[in-house]
Amino acid sequence: MPYLSGEDAVKELRRALSNPNVQSDPLRYRNTITKVIRVMSQGVDVSGLFPEMVKACATVDIVQKKLVYVFLCSYASLNPQLSLLVINTLRKDCQDANPMVRSLALRNMTNLRLPGLAEYVEQPLTVGLRDRAACVRRVAVLGWAKLHNLQPQAEIDAAVVNELYSLLRDSDPVVMVNCLRALEEILKDEGGVAINKNITHHLLNRLKECDVWGQCDVLRVLERYRPQTEGELFDILSLLDSCLTCAHPPVMAATLRLFLCLSAGLPSVCQSALERACGPLLAACGSNSREMRFTALAHVQLMMQSVPGLLGAHYKRFFCGYAEPAFIKQRKMQVLVELVNDENVSMLLDELKGYCTDVDPDTAQAAISAIGRIGRSYSDKCLDILTGLLGLRQEHITSAVVQTFRDLVWVCPQCSDVVCAALQGCEETLQDDQGRQALLWLLGVYGERVATAPYVLEGFIDGVRAEVSVSVKLELLAAALRLFLSRPAETQDMLGRLLHYCIEEERDMCVRDQALLYYRLLQCGPEQARRVVEARRSDPALGVLIGRPLQPIDAWAHGFNTLQPLSTAAATPDSSTRGSPEHLHCEPKHTLTEELKALTDVAELSQGSVVGVEPAVVSLSLSPALSPEDFEEMWLQLQSLHMDQGASAVEEGDFLCVVKLMPCQMLPVNSPQSLQAALQLVNIQTMAFTPPNALPWKVYLYTHTQPAPDSTSAECTLVLAELLYSSDTPDSSRAELSEDNDGLSPLSGDGRKSGDRCVKITVKQKPRDSAALSGFLCILTAVLNTVSAECKL
Amino acid sequence: MIGGLFIYNHKGEVLISRVYRDDIGYVAQRSFMVTSCIKPATLFNVNLFVCRRNAVDAFRVNVIHARQQVRSPVTNIARTSFFHVKRSNIWLAAVTKQNVNAAMVFEFLYKMCDVMTAYFGKISEENIKNNFVLIYELLDEILDFGYPQNSETGALKTFITQQGIKGQTKEEQSQITSQVTGQIGWRREGIKYRRNELFLDVLESVNLLMSPQGQVLSAHVSGRVVMKSYLSGMPECKFGMNDKIVIDKQGKGGDLYAFCCSGKQSIAIDDCTFHQCVRLSKFDSERSISFIPPDGEYELMRYRTTKDIILPFRVIPLVREVGRTKLEVKVVIKSNFKPSLLAQKIEVRIPTPLNTSGVQVICMKGKAKYKASENAIVWKIKRMAGMKESQISAEIELLPTNDKKKWARPPISMNFEVPFAPSGLKVRYLKVFESKLNYSDHDVIKWVRYIGRSGIYETRC
Repeated sequence: MPYLSGEDAVKELRRALSNPNVQSDPLRYRNTITKVIRVMSQGVDVSGLFPEMVKACATVDIVQKKLVYVFLCSYASLNPQLSLLVINTLRKDCQDANPMVRSLALRNMTNLRLPGLAEYVEQPLTVGLRDRAACVRRVAVLGWAKLHNLQPQAEIDAAVVNELYSLLRDSDPVVMVNCLRALEEILKDEGGVAINKNITHHLLNRLKECDVWGQCDVLRVLERYRPQTEGELFDILSLLDSCLTCAHPPVMAATLRLFLCLSAGLPSVCQSALERACGPLLAACGSNSREMRFTALAHVQLMMQSVPGLLGAHYKRFFCGYAEPAFIKQRKMQVLVELVNDENVSMLLDELKGYCTDVDPDTAQAAISAIGRIGRSYSDKCLDILTGLLGLRQEHITSAVVQTFRDLVWVCPQCSDVVCAALQGCEETLQDDQGRQALLWLLGVYGERVATAPYVLEGFIDGVRAEVSVSVKLELLAAALRLFLSRPAETQDMLGRLLHYCIEEERDMCVRDQALLYYRLLQCGPEQARRVVEARRSDPALGVLIGRPLQPIDAWAHGFNTLQPLSTAAATPDSSTRGSPEHLHCEPKHTLTEELKALTDVAELSQGSVVGVEPAVVSLSLSPALSPEDFEEMWLQLQSLHMDQGASAVEEGDFLCVVKLMPCQMLPVNSPQSLQAALQLVNIQTMAFTPPNALPWKVYLYTHTQPAPDSTSAECTLVLAELLYSSDTPDSSRAELSEDNDGLSPLSGDGRKSGDRCVKITVKQKPRDSAALSGFLCILTAVLNTVSAECKL
Repeated sequence: MIGGLFIYNHKGEVLISRVYRDDIGYVAQRSFMVTSCIKPATLFNVNLFVCRRNAVDAFRVNVIHARQQVRSPVTNIARTSFFHVKRSNIWLAAVTKQNVNAAMVFEFLYKMCDVMTAYFGKISEENIKNNFVLIYELLDEILDFGYPQNSETGALKTFITQQGIKGQTKEEQSQITSQVTGQIGWRREGIKYRRNELFLDVLESVNLLMSPQGQVLSAHVSGRVVMKSYLSGMPECKFGMNDKIVIDKQGKGGDLYAFCCSGKQSIAIDDCTFHQCVRLSKFDSERSISFIPPDGEYELMRYRTTKDIILPFRVIPLVREVGRTKLEVKVVIKSNFKPSLLAQKIEVRIPTPLNTSGVQVICMKGKAKYKASENAIVWKIKRMAGMKESQISAEIELLPTNDKKKWARPPISMNFEVPFAPSGLKVRYLKVFESKLNYSDHDVIKWVRYIGRSGIYETRC
């Protein structure tokens, strides 16, 4: 155990060091000193040997010198007085003919870290700045930074600062970069190096000469520069363009960060920079070294906050390898969840399903909750997988599945039937607190639909004495009370027992208080209790598809390429994903709003000429509001009718289904909020949309048309619509089919001309009223045109 | 910038520690002072050494000795970030208090590993302990005040003095120049051994891909002839093997020896490369391999053959799917060489589907085990003689999945070591001629050894 029993070793070494025979033989002397260093690095306190080592310093043998310096730098602060003796030797070495000796002496003089020695060090440092050899200048420059670090309150001479500035033009790139680093530290209080146009251009021109580390530091410093004109900005960016696709991930990331900083006001430039950096970033994600892969993944996650669709096509790159460590797998899964869309969902789910049985329980649980996240948009497939996993009867898997069920049901209440059916028998495998809590919550809230709920609860209540976890007890109380309210006959007895135990015998105050609260609540009568306890079963504010609010790039750019994305992270903010479209803070630009109003007015006025039929004046209204579940149900119902009767019979029955293509070059796929706001102005409610930038991109809308005073239609109709925007050429034949049927061909005639980019609009109306529908379509078209025009600007 | 660099072994003992900036390890200092047995008098000094130990210990406790596996390559302890990279069982940790560019720190650690490998080979505890002075020197040059300075191995060479520039004698220096300029750069004059010895190793690795029906899809042997020579003076050596071209040529000449040999198999070598000592002109014209060997161990030649390979083992797999949740696997291995020889370290790896829940194995010989983490049944046999056969049968229970796609059935792979050359290569002679010193070919003690190992030896199932 070298930590404590080093005293003998130290004694022996001292004897050897002071032995004149050893001192006279250079090889033995050096070997003894090597031994000292070895003992030191094992953790033995060898500070007692300081005087002997100081003596050993005066030698011509460079190897011995280096070894002694390692020792001295570690222990100088313990022996400030004795260290003074070394200074003399060091100062003499600073005038040696050999530049290596000079730089060595200078470096170690500054490494001693003794504030008292500063006065002796300054002179050699000043001389060192003007040394012929680059390696001495490198050391001297950083020496000033060390000196400043040692005495932060003491001012560094302005002349020295000026000299450092002039050394930025040194012929050696490392000296230049060291100057930048030193100035950054010395002038920290003033905000670092003054970056003006000249320095910027000088640094940019020399960038190629620096090594990887130097490039990173230079790029970091350049972030503070503000180009005066846009022309200059683009000059700089085009100069840096090659670095953006550099093979070294640190340089690439630093360049990207610089791009984002410099062009903060120009979203299109940022966007294209991100697109260009995609390739190298993906390459880094597949890098050989796992740490680099991890870092790259963390940065990908950061980028996806603003441009989730950017890497959509490359989702396969984020599939986990078998031998990858858990931290990489979990990151990859988080990325995969963000990349899901209609086309790859089954592939992704298959892949995630494979991870659920991972040997590492944490990875398995992460995979299960990832499936749960996807389940918010694709509930059927995910529920199949999750219920299948319950069959494995593995403790950690069941626990994760039940927790995922709880989260899923909260967001998508339509899943509750499947979940309730799957809960049977889970209690046998569940062991951990979190899983049992989730199960209790589900039993409490959906107790009336789970046949065995009272029996399961009874099991828990019988074992409550042996229960250790307070949170499970609290959850049990709440669940028992809720179940009592829905199934009083079966639960009354056990609730009584539970309350009795919790009030009379329980030691924990929280549990006891909760039990007392419930007890008193029940005394007020079941109706009162129901009013208090029966809270919302789900979050009604959530849509069918959930889009996470988009972060602007500036929100994360300052954290890009630092430690931050690596440490924040493992927990993706769950609460924020629960934000529904209604809760988004969308503040469309004021000008856009004005413009839109004007334009829609015009559109409404001129719709007669566009449509070519009777000017159908419709007014739209949002009330009565439609809940997401109703919307989904109705959409699917209308669809199934449509399927059953075949395409030709679209208009039979009391509803109408229209598919129509509209040419639209640019849809604001990256800012759905603006579209949403625009639609809201004309009383069309956006129900849900896919994550921005994902392709195909979908929006679901609904509105009610109201009979205009002079129109022929007599009743209100409900209109549901889906906008589908995909990059590939749409299937025009199908559109034609329905066009012929619905008699709206004039509107959609130009769909095939511009060809490449179209929005496919599927509209379902109930009851049917083609005049009102054409009015609706007209307004929708006008809005989309306006928004896409805005987009182009 | 990097505050410090530490190297740990797998037990968490510090092998190397180098602190560049004072800020690291300050926080944990107080708690350390309370718990440690430092005398109150020394408490007044801000003990850098103590600080460093703290940062170091924190990392050991939180990462290396942590029960779970590593959760992230960056660990935050007391507001200090530890970036760690593991190479074999050595941990390299860079420590910093600043919000640094993470990709750069990792890239730097990789570079550090590269530099160390370039200087002393594989990064292992032993190598690090043996070269710790060199490492301190490297750390001093590569980083200054936590800023990377100079990380190119070539450029570093001028600054690193570990062999001692001043320590070199004139004699040694003149030797170096003669080695660089002289005719024979790989051997110095005046080597003397009391016993002249020669060790010759023929090391081959045999690669195979076989179809389930036993058809060879691809097979090749890549081999090396490694020689260890302890010979005095400047001996001239001649090496002969059963190369087909040579044998045929000699056969025409009616050489008696060649006649004896032609009964045996001769082999066709596809391509070969030699150590720089071999006279290539002579090889091209006469196909004879003659050379003045370097002293000590070196690789004489490297070759590849694809024809007439003796496959030491045959693997016969039988996989039967019984229903959706059960799989029966039977694998027979047959050894195909002389019964007097013994193969060693045999390992057969039978992959199992991902949804395997349990495995029952019965094998006649050796030990077999199902390794869930590797998704394979690993069957190990210590020794097996030639012309024998052994079999394993396993019942694999599967978890029911509603997975439509079938299991991909990765190939069965095998590892072994046999005491002959699967290519059929034989060393016919190795003659040593030294004219100046008075020892002859007969006085040299020669050892020849053949080792055949498996490369990628796979059979599809």
